[in-house]
Amino acid sequence: MAYTAEAFQNEFLALGATEVNAIVTVTSSGAEGGRRTAGATEIIIVDCSGSMQAEGRMIAARQAAKAAVNCIDDGVRFAIVAGVSTAQQLFPAPGQLAVATPETRAQAVHAIDRLQANGGTAMGAWLKLAHQLFAQRPGDIQHAILLTDGENGEYKGYLESVLQEIGGSFTCDCRGVGTNWTVSELRKIATAMLGTVDIVARPQDLAAAFEQMMTAAMGKTSADVQLKVWTPVNSTIRFVKQVEPQMVDLTGKRIEDGPRAGRYPLGSWGSESRDYHVCVDVTAGAAGDEMLAARVSVVEGDVVHAQSLVRAVWTDDSALSARINRQVAHYTGQAELAEVIQAGIEARKAGDDRTATLKFGRAAQLAHQSGNKATEELLSTVVEIEDAETGTVRLRRRIEAADEMALDTRSTKTVRVGRGQ
Amino acid sequence: MTVSLECAACADERAAGAAFCESCGRTLATGSPAGAGPQCQACGPAGAVDADGYCGTCGMLAARPRDHAEADSSPVAAAVTDRGLRHHRNEDAMWLAVRGADADAVVCDGVSASYDPDVASAVAAEAAGKVLAAGGDDLAGRIAEAITAAGAAVAELARTDPRRAASNPACTIVAACVRGTEVGYGWVGDSRAYWVPEQGEARQLTEDDSWATHAIALGVDPQSAWNDPKAHAITAWLGADAGPVRPRTDTLRPGEAGILVLCSDGLWNYLTEPAELASTVRAAVREAPDLISAARSLVTFANDAGGADNITVVLVPIHT
Ligand SMILES: [Zn+2]
Ligand SMILES: [Zn+2]
Repeated sequence: MAYTAEAFQNEFLALGATEVNAIVTVTSSGAEGGRRTAGATEIIIVDCSGSMQAEGRMIAARQAAKAAVNCIDDGVRFAIVAGVSTAQQLFPAPGQLAVATPETRAQAVHAIDRLQANGGTAMGAWLKLAHQLFAQRPGDIQHAILLTDGENGEYKGYLESVLQEIGGSFTCDCRGVGTNWTVSELRKIATAMLGTVDIVARPQDLAAAFEQMMTAAMGKTSADVQLKVWTPVNSTIRFVKQVEPQMVDLTGKRIEDGPRAGRYPLGSWGSESRDYHVCVDVTAGAAGDEMLAARVSVVEGDVVHAQSLVRAVWTDDSALSARINRQVAHYTGQAELAEVIQAGIEARKAGDDRTATLKFGRAAQLAHQSGNKATEELLSTVVEIEDAETGTVRLRRRIEAADEMALDTRSTKTVRVGRGQ
Repeated sequence: MTVSLECAACADERAAGAAFCESCGRTLATGSPAGAGPQCQACGPAGAVDADGYCGTCGMLAARPRDHAEADSSPVAAAVTDRGLRHHRNEDAMWLAVRGADADAVVCDGVSASYDPDVASAVAAEAAGKVLAAGGDDLAGRIAEAITAAGAAVAELARTDPRRAASNPACTIVAACVRGTEVGYGWVGDSRAYWVPEQGEARQLTEDDSWATHAIALGVDPQSAWNDPKAHAITAWLGADAGPVRPRTDTLRPGEAGILVLCSDGLWNYLTEPAELASTVRAAVREAPDLISAARSLVTFANDAGGADNITVVLVPIHT
């Protein structure tokens, strides 16, 4: 698998400056011929709580699960979990994983017809069962889809303790159908499990969403890629974030790895490209000093796939140090965009329309300036954008719950800027 | 680019006095780095320098070969280039080739505001140097050809990398070839050539392509022109964004003994008047045991004065 890592930064710092920023673009051309270097296991978790009966959700969920099963490549292991007050394995026999063949897929599709909406919601238990099943296949690319329509019914703190225990051990993409689920809850799961979260407002769109997730999962060819970051003595890492295709703060996921280095999990990879923002505080140097502020490597186990250097050069030439790197500025703006949208949603829920208007105004401005059209469109379902340039907006009097949830879940989606300096 | 005694590429014996390999045409290695070693200069025994040149403990860059390099072809010519004290790398480059009493010399100064200026200057010095070695009898024409080739080589850099394309690598150039008592020279930008006779008035042979020179020519008071923040902004350079390169060239037949000096602004910034420069050069040559020591002491002079820029100086004595 061929990876490249390239750093974009203004390495020149004014005398006394200590903050070093760089965007590192990691690109993988994927495995040769698209073949996986590891095996793969897929688990589909379908919420079967009583509420799924409403609005034809259960029927749509069955169709979606079938569509996903039909996207699983031959040879991939898979299982289907029915989510009720406990976790029940629907297919194959409890504790087993099926090997995908035309026959097992047909059997699974048949089994899915037995899914009935008549239980509770116990996401912690569902994830735990998935974890146990995945444990049979160490080294596999492990991916789960979790579908729910409501809030978790487990006692307070249980889900968190499960995530603490299993966080990062497999990838879990979370989807909420309808509008009775909580964005923050699913985001918590997706963040811990390095997956995505999104709303599927209309049940009839579920099948397409499942197909898309499963197809993306089948495109992953390596299981557990990590970003290793070395920094010099007396330096502190302010943050390591994935900034494209969506914002994910990886700072807290650091695992120490030898002197002055740590690893950050990047999950599974196919043929794709992602951007990371690394921010390090170092000790200031003298004019003309050049320091390696971070050595950023893409690693898989002991194999170093690619490496990129983040440098700091102190200069008294303010024309050099005042230069703003477009990549760094752009993603700093995208991070603020996600923050102000979430702050705006919080404020509106708390009845503080003034703060909400201010936050959404700033968001409209940032989305517009950075060319993030998708986010600008989502914003316009919540506020009337009078002047995006100045951030002048008015809260809409009637806001559809689905629109606000879509804005919330997709606030972390980012766009790229043209490359060059 | 500088030269040493033996060609590492083909191990052929070089002709007496030649400073590049006449057999394979390659320049003979770069100068030896000053103070580079496996141990970090910044944190001492605690820090070992990694393969990529940075200390594994404090991250500081160990010395690069280009930080300080020398080309010693005494008594025919000598050249020294140095990072100075305030810049993180040496973006000046030089070329010196001698054959018998003949010498070709080039000094280039990378434009810091461009991308990879150190690459621009190295590429330009080498491209010009190779043309100088091969050219015909018309010295001014040969210089023009060398500078044009250097310009093309630097412009080509912008086509190889998107970041270079976005911020064109650029540099200045001053080149000279000495054949007996005749000197051909030419330049683009603000790197300079001087004629320093043993006695009498020294002459700046080049006229900077710079804002200050331009302003003074238009009647601005020299002192206020040089104090302007734009003073050193160059008005001509080599690079993809430079437009057609129009080197200014001339020849000189001194008729008296003296020294041809080529240098970057890292030296002449501290010696803005030709008379000051001349007396400093004469003192250096008088006090030093040989030509390379004299060139080295001029670099030390600039560093003692602040070392605000990279410093390059080439000395070519001319006898009558
Ligand atoms: Zn050190
Ligand atoms: Zn200079």
